[in-house]
Amino acid sequence: MQAPGTAVRGAARRFFSKPEFSTLIILVIMFAITAVLQQNFFETRSIVRNINAFTPLILVTMGQAVVILAGGIDLSAGSALSLFTCVLTTVMRKADPWSGAYALAAAFAVAMAVGIINGIGIGYLRIPPVIVTFATSFMWLGAALFLRPTPGGETVEWFKAFYNVGAIEGVSATLKRFNDVIPPALLLVVIGCLFWAVVSKTRTGRYIYAVGSSNDSAYESGIDTARVQLKACLVNSTFILLAALFFVGQNQSGDARMGDPLTLRAIAAAVVGGIALTGGRGSVYFALVGALILSFVNKIIFFANISSAYQTLVGGAIVIFAIAASQAYTLSNRRAMRAEGRLK
Amino acid sequence: MNVRGTLRASAAYSFYDRFKKLIVALLLIVFLFVLGQAVVSNFLSLGQVLLTIKLASFIALFGLCQMIVIAGGGSGLDLSVGYAATMTAVITAAIMDGKNENLWMAILVALGIGLVVGICNGALAAYVKLPPLVVTLAMSSILQGTINVYTAGRNITGRPSPVLQIIAAKSIGIFPNILFVLLILAPIVMILLSRTRWGLKLFGAGTNETAAYLSGVNVRRVRFVSFLISGVLASLIGLLLLGNMGIAFKDMGSNYVMPSIAAAVVGGVSLTGGDGNYLGVILGAIFLQTLTNLLVALGWGDAGKWLGFGIVLFILLIVYVSNRRSR
Amino acid sequence: MKVLEATGIRKRFGGVVALSNGNLACNAGRITGLLGANGSGKSTISKIIAGVYHADAGQIRYNDRVVRYRTPNEARQNGIAMVFQNLSLVPDLTVWQNIVLGGEQSRGPFLNDARAKETAREILDKLMPGLDLSRMLSELSPGEMQIVEIAKAIAARPKLLILDEPTAALEKAQVKSLFKFLRGLVRKKVAVVFTSHRLWEVMEICDEVTIFRNGENVAQIDFKKDGKDPERIVGDITGETRTRARRRARGRRRGRTLLSVRNLSYGGTLKEVSFDLRRGEILGVGGLSGQGQHELMLALAGAYPGSTCAAEMDGRKIRLNRPATAIRSGMLLVPGDRQLEGLFLKHSLFTNIIFPKLGLARQPLFTPRARSREECARAIEVLSIRVPNLETPVRTLSGGNQQKVVVGKWLSFDASVLLLADPAKGVDVGAKRDLYEFILRQVREKKTSVVLYASDNEELIQYCDRLMIMYEGQVVATLEGADITDDAIVATSMRVR
Repeated sequence: MQAPGTAVRGAARRFFSKPEFSTLIILVIMFAITAVLQQNFFETRSIVRNINAFTPLILVTMGQAVVILAGGIDLSAGSALSLFTCVLTTVMRKADPWSGAYALAAAFAVAMAVGIINGIGIGYLRIPPVIVTFATSFMWLGAALFLRPTPGGETVEWFKAFYNVGAIEGVSATLKRFNDVIPPALLLVVIGCLFWAVVSKTRTGRYIYAVGSSNDSAYESGIDTARVQLKACLVNSTFILLAALFFVGQNQSGDARMGDPLTLRAIAAAVVGGIALTGGRGSVYFALVGALILSFVNKIIFFANISSAYQTLVGGAIVIFAIAASQAYTLSNRRAMRAEGRLK
Repeated sequence: MNVRGTLRASAAYSFYDRFKKLIVALLLIVFLFVLGQAVVSNFLSLGQVLLTIKLASFIALFGLCQMIVIAGGGSGLDLSVGYAATMTAVITAAIMDGKNENLWMAILVALGIGLVVGICNGALAAYVKLPPLVVTLAMSSILQGTINVYTAGRNITGRPSPVLQIIAAKSIGIFPNILFVLLILAPIVMILLSRTRWGLKLFGAGTNETAAYLSGVNVRRVRFVSFLISGVLASLIGLLLLGNMGIAFKDMGSNYVMPSIAAAVVGGVSLTGGDGNYLGVILGAIFLQTLTNLLVALGWGDAGKWLGFGIVLFILLIVYVSNRRSR
Repeated sequence: MKVLEATGIRKRFGGVVALSNGNLACNAGRITGLLGANGSGKSTISKIIAGVYHADAGQIRYNDRVVRYRTPNEARQNGIAMVFQNLSLVPDLTVWQNIVLGGEQSRGPFLNDARAKETAREILDKLMPGLDLSRMLSELSPGEMQIVEIAKAIAARPKLLILDEPTAALEKAQVKSLFKFLRGLVRKKVAVVFTSHRLWEVMEICDEVTIFRNGENVAQIDFKKDGKDPERIVGDITGETRTRARRRARGRRRGRTLLSVRNLSYGGTLKEVSFDLRRGEILGVGGLSGQGQHELMLALAGAYPGSTCAAEMDGRKIRLNRPATAIRSGMLLVPGDRQLEGLFLKHSLFTNIIFPKLGLARQPLFTPRARSREECARAIEVLSIRVPNLETPVRTLSGGNQQKVVVGKWLSFDASVLLLADPAKGVDVGAKRDLYEFILRQVREKKTSVVLYASDNEELIQYCDRLMIMYEGQVVATLEGADITDDAIVATSMRVR
């Protein structure tokens, strides 16, 4: 048995050698810089505004992280998001409060269909995920354009609750105050985290890691790898749906192209957050951290009065920097372990 | 089996094996054209076919960049080709300003841009070992951002030199000139890849990195060079794009990236690396373009076009690429 | 009591017939050995029984009922578990998570991790006490991973346990542990099937043996009734009566020192290894498995840029920090794990054989196809590789033929030093003989020196002039000539002498 001191030191060394450690350091740095640059950073109103701005990327990133963990990748995430907003705003009728419920049901059904189709392509047909989700992204785009050739549509009044309860006519004052402190966006993220917390403790959650780490080994162990990857796609769709609810709550309209920029940003955020693109390694919660990092970077660019033309440029550079840092960390640790003879 | 017999048997085997996928691709294209003709008259006319090939040429050219990078293995992909081409177009448009005198300078600038992009991509992907998907993605962001900064508050001026326009946009009789470019390029590429030492090293590195390394191949250098070539090619393609369009604008190249990858896949390039036939990539590009034309001709509008494109591509992938487990 | 009876099993993969008439019977409480050359069908029939493959024809009776399991999971749920050669373990999960993988117990929808750890602990305490359950699998040594693989099969509480080459990666101590465990297992009336290339292991642990050859079983030997006659067994395996190859006469004239290596070190795996290699000599590298022998071979081949040493070839200083420079100095590596390190499986025989030439300087930019093809065809004739044409993808060849291709790559080079990293690993007896005959011919004709690492002590005893024993990355003993005996090897490997 090891002495307790050794055990603690061993665990500490294992933690510091993980790439997650450097991700946290980067988050703290970005957080600090933003706090310095944005004068009213710690005011409630601007915290709420930041949370609202960050939430869509956070949700899409978490979904993307799950798919990548299972050994896939989803290039159709952005189009799916657009499609869901179009479905919602097409089914809803402003005059009929019940249409909101029908819209939710319809969007949920579409989300499941999206997840199933992607899941069949990645899991059952074993088409390389990059290319199959590239194909399905056009399918979602086409469907979205069919529903909403131009941005528009209607929402019911209570749908605004997904963004700002206070905007709904005739809502009580206490609810408004609650809403000002805890924005619905934050609740959506919390729901997402709880959802993943539950899934990760089930068989599916464990198998997602197994399949992503080694599809063949998982298969030889009797795991239905195709079904696991399909379920991962369904989880992804759920996260994207949450983001769609937020968007529609915020903008009251659906747009077939609005999600496009999010796809690649979500992938970048997941990678920055420590998700290995090869699958099986990383934590969905740290992917969330990755999304935060990228979001803070955008804020920094904004508040440092750098022209927004630089945003894409700096964004790209940051991504490279972040993954290079975490890669360098992992590589140096693996090299150390290999030399010690503990790694093949 | 004696030496001579073995040699004879080998020759027969490789012919069939090599051309199997190409024949399938060709048949698919023919099928689409016939289908199109049934729907819309004049679809299968020589003029239409040549026009399709002309439009597909650019996808095929970018597809070459992809093929080289993918073949080297290590999950190689180059998502920066679109903006590399765009940046070249934007900058050289001003240099050339519609005249032929500065064409040489434009080419040099294009090579320079391509080298810089290629070196960055290659260094990060091959030496630092970052995932190429993310590296080239970030690079494309950086390039896009740089273009944004450069053109902020400024109009993009300049026109391509007439020579470029002739090569890229014009035709001799009914044959588009760009087609000749492809016809010359294709065999050169195929010979370079399958008959030179470097080409075989590339395919070796893509098939089995360790075996290649132990056989003395500098895998990292081979992959680095593949990104270099891709960057330079993309920039040169930018010149052609400029010649084709007549002006440069911010999103010139970005719509070609994903189709170039799709063309490579449809053309039989394995995404894990180790093989690739440029003729297949060209056919793949033609197939994708024909498909798009067909969907437009059917008059389904934007929605139908994209939906149809996605569904057909999906079906094609099922047939071509799906890898169901055999027991 | 017959637990399993497979009759008339047929299986083909594409154009290759793996089994034409496979029969196997296993009894409860007995260990049945499966012997046979690579490609004889013994692995295939095991996998069919375990539900990994589907038989094309034939019948399997399990506990007196005809069964046809479609997936390994189904077989495992019914009590048939198989331990694979290619590990079915997941690198990014912990030891205990791997042990219960696929058979986790759950409380409702949630996994019961406490129960899982308990199960894992129970089993590992008997197989390999002291292993930390929460270590990531990727951190373990190959021997430890093999033990975890076995633990995983045991966790399914099988009634029939199939072990496919389980001792390949294990050290002698671990093998002893495993055998003790197996004897305990059969006392509980479990049936065990034990496949191995190592004849003496099979003779030690098995009660009876079924021998496969060319897709069907050709002999069944009950050790208690028929006794243990290794000659007869080998004869049944190869299908020809063999006189045991006589030990080459020692005291061959050895030339001057060709290669001298001083203080070769690499991280913690190799520590100050020094040796001299004479012209025309076969220097062996032995010891318990995993003591740095494989790494030594790779280091000599230049695969470790981080290694340090002072090496001289023919009096000239050479650097061993890149494969290309090692190759140019005349050191050629024949890797042991051909699939991972030696071959381009997707590519043709031709591409594989000419590949090393590409690294040489002063080769033309374009590869001259005609001349290369002739060279290649001649090479495969010399090595008696059975193949219809040069463009056959290498992955369709049998293990032995694949290994010959790995060796054949280097034929047209004039190597000064051949580094053989377990060249006959997993290769059947016939191909093994061809391989070593070729190597010996090189040594005789061209005075090539050889550094030979073999995991099988028999090979070391039979072929080496001198033998270095390694322990924890250092050379602890060097045996010469007549001193190279199994006894001496084992004793020095375990630091007894």
